[in-house]
Amino acid sequence: MVTIQLFGMTKMLAGNQGTLSLSLHDGKRVKDLVSVIDAAYPKIGELLQKKKVLVSVNQEIAHEDLEVKDGDEIALLPPFAGGNR
Amino acid sequence: MSLEQVTKAEQPATDDEAMLVRVQREDFSIDEELRRVRRRSKRIGGIAMFLGTARDRSKGKDVDGITFEHYEGMAQKKLREIRERAIRDFGVIEVLVLHRYGEITIGENIVLIIAAAEHRAEAFRACQWAIDELKQITPIWKLEHTPDGEVWVEEHP
Repeated sequence: MVTIQLFGMTKMLAGNQGTLSLSLHDGKRVKDLVSVIDAAYPKIGELLQKKKVLVSVNQEIAHEDLEVKDGDEIALLPPFAGGNR
Repeated sequence: MSLEQVTKAEQPATDDEAMLVRVQREDFSIDEELRRVRRRSKRIGGIAMFLGTARDRSKGKDVDGITFEHYEGMAQKKLREIRERAIRDFGVIEVLVLHRYGEITIGENIVLIIAAAEHRAEAFRACQWAIDELKQITPIWKLEHTPDGEVWVEEHP
């Protein structure tokens, strides 16, 4: 079971939950996590596929091949506030 | 957590380095933050500052207020990286980076960057780079309150 922190629009898309708890069965890489999220929350899944929402592991943006380990701090990061120059 | 981080965390929260990078709910005093930077070195001869404030319009729509959400821990980590890289890469003496979170009223302060150098050119360059970089890499999200509802802002510079 992994816990994923949600922020901004991803929190809204998950029904205003601050975290998701998911079980990883078929593989433990970030891309496997994305597949599990896609199945449960297709709207968030779509944003993940388009890389509009990024996955962070231990407070760094994670590559899809990174292996997720027990105790890792995982979060979904929607586009940052940005703003116009 | 590295030894360096532990040491920083244990220092009293006065004028140490921890105070030069902050994410906080409350407003800040620009004078106080300028004094904090100026106290760091007598070699400072030029200071550039960027202050971001809450405006009442966004993409042609009225905005009544803004709420900022941040990723506690990662936001501070990215701001510390920005300060360290600005000092290392732009030859400035000191950099302060502050960002507020929570509900912000129109007209209020949001973000403050102060870059202090021996001369103005480095200070201007470091200041501009720091605010641009902040907007690219810092996990902070903006929710605009408009008459039509609330909107998470997602445009990039």
